[in-house]
Amino acid sequence: MPDPLTTTTRSGRVATLTLNRPDARNALSVDLLESLNKRLNEIESDSQSLSVLILTGAGKSFCAGMDLKAVLGDNALASDLLTRLALLTLRIRRLPIVTIARVNGAAIGGGCGLACVCDVAVTHDDSKMGFPEVDLGVCPAVVAPWLVRKIGPGAARRVLLLGGLMSGSEAAALGIVNHCVPTLETLDEAVSGMAARIAQGGPRAIAATKDLLNELDGSLDESLLRRAAGLSASVLATRDAQERLRNRLGA
Amino acid sequence: MIRVEHAGSVTRLTLDRPEARNALTPEMLDALARAASEMPHETRAVILRAEGPVFCSGFDLNLCRDDPHGSTLARLLDGLSKAVTALRAQPCPVVAVVQGAAVAGGCALLGGADIVICAADARFGYPVTRLGISPAVSAPTLAATVSGGSMRAMLLDPGLIDAPHARRLGLVSEVLPDAASAEARARTLGEALAAKGPGAIVATRRLLQELSGPTPRDSRAALDRSLGLVGGPEERDLLPKAWAPRPGR
Repeated sequence: MPDPLTTTTRSGRVATLTLNRPDARNALSVDLLESLNKRLNEIESDSQSLSVLILTGAGKSFCAGMDLKAVLGDNALASDLLTRLALLTLRIRRLPIVTIARVNGAAIGGGCGLACVCDVAVTHDDSKMGFPEVDLGVCPAVVAPWLVRKIGPGAARRVLLLGGLMSGSEAAALGIVNHCVPTLETLDEAVSGMAARIAQGGPRAIAATKDLLNELDGSLDESLLRRAAGLSASVLATRDAQERLRNRLGA
Repeated sequence: MIRVEHAGSVTRLTLDRPEARNALTPEMLDALARAASEMPHETRAVILRAEGPVFCSGFDLNLCRDDPHGSTLARLLDGLSKAVTALRAQPCPVVAVVQGAAVAGGCALLGGADIVICAADARFGYPVTRLGISPAVSAPTLAATVSGGSMRAMLLDPGLIDAPHARRLGLVSEVLPDAASAEARARTLGEALAAKGPGAIVATRRLLQELSGPTPRDSRAALDRSLGLVGGPEERDLLPKAWAPRPGR
């Protein structure tokens, strides 16, 4: 039996969900998203006994973003993947518990978007983060609403239009992550300390607070995310995007 | 326990209960709201400050003992929301000066200020969910001050943030080395603000309020979310932690 694409561990009221496709830097494929959805089913049905979900990546990266190589030349598959990612982000945001992104190594494109969807994100100084979509001729539409809600429209405009990558400490200065520790080795201590203090909170107080935050910032607008996935798919289908991706991915 | 001093064009509102780390009572919150709504005609700027080493440790939860329906906590939440709204609604700019800590209701009170100055030792945050209390009531004013992501982290992670972090988020606009220099800086800013064109200041503050909120509807929704838990099973279960001795204290 092959290794599962995601794994979950539990410790008291804290669950850790790990993207487990390290050979592909945890790139988001249809299969991986499907596996994440199954894990979220379990977490949702168990949310009464949970207070915190930590999202992280196995191996050297948190998540390298969408698995674009797998959808190159297949517009229907690309559109399906983007819609699945969009709906997955909404599911994560809707969880009535606090979600922490433990950003190890690299969080790129859709991977950086996953970090932004979480309620709190923590990384280390020399991680690599960012949204290089425009460099590849792709539109970062699915992640854009989450980045705007996280860091505000002015900073999000600069980050998404300039593309490229930044270090974890630069991401912290912009507010893309909330905390940044000096090294990867000290990341677990920071994340587990945070999870422990959050888990002391009353679950109803946490859920009520999160629900209000989602209401205030329009997080639960599913139609916006569906439109964003459609926009991203239409840009991805253009010749420019396909050529840039072919060159970049060496396909 | 709220001292109101009018000195020329600057009015000072002082939390004056240092023996209890300026813990807020319903009377103090009512007094703040009243002072805000009764600003003298000559006042052009307001300084919100506190006596003692700590700006404000939040609600005085000792008052909530033996109160199974949570009516005192409900009064505190309602009073906080009214005091913050009144400070924002009155015509003069408000400079808050924080030393030591502004936590829970004390941090929420800063939502009534246009500019926050702090001493380097200041800490900020909302360590209240462990007591079964939701800090939702603060969300709308916080949303008008810091980014959405910073607000989310401050309200869902009960850890405190230090002065440089608060400065980075925009919660605080200046960090001074100590309480005395922070006070002095707030005084200077108060005088500078008082010297601006009063009509221009009033119009600008009104416009900023319109642009960044909160709307009365958002304030009400947020208060209701916090009130919704008051007297409920979780809060009845967790609130007694507030007066239990804590290890290491």
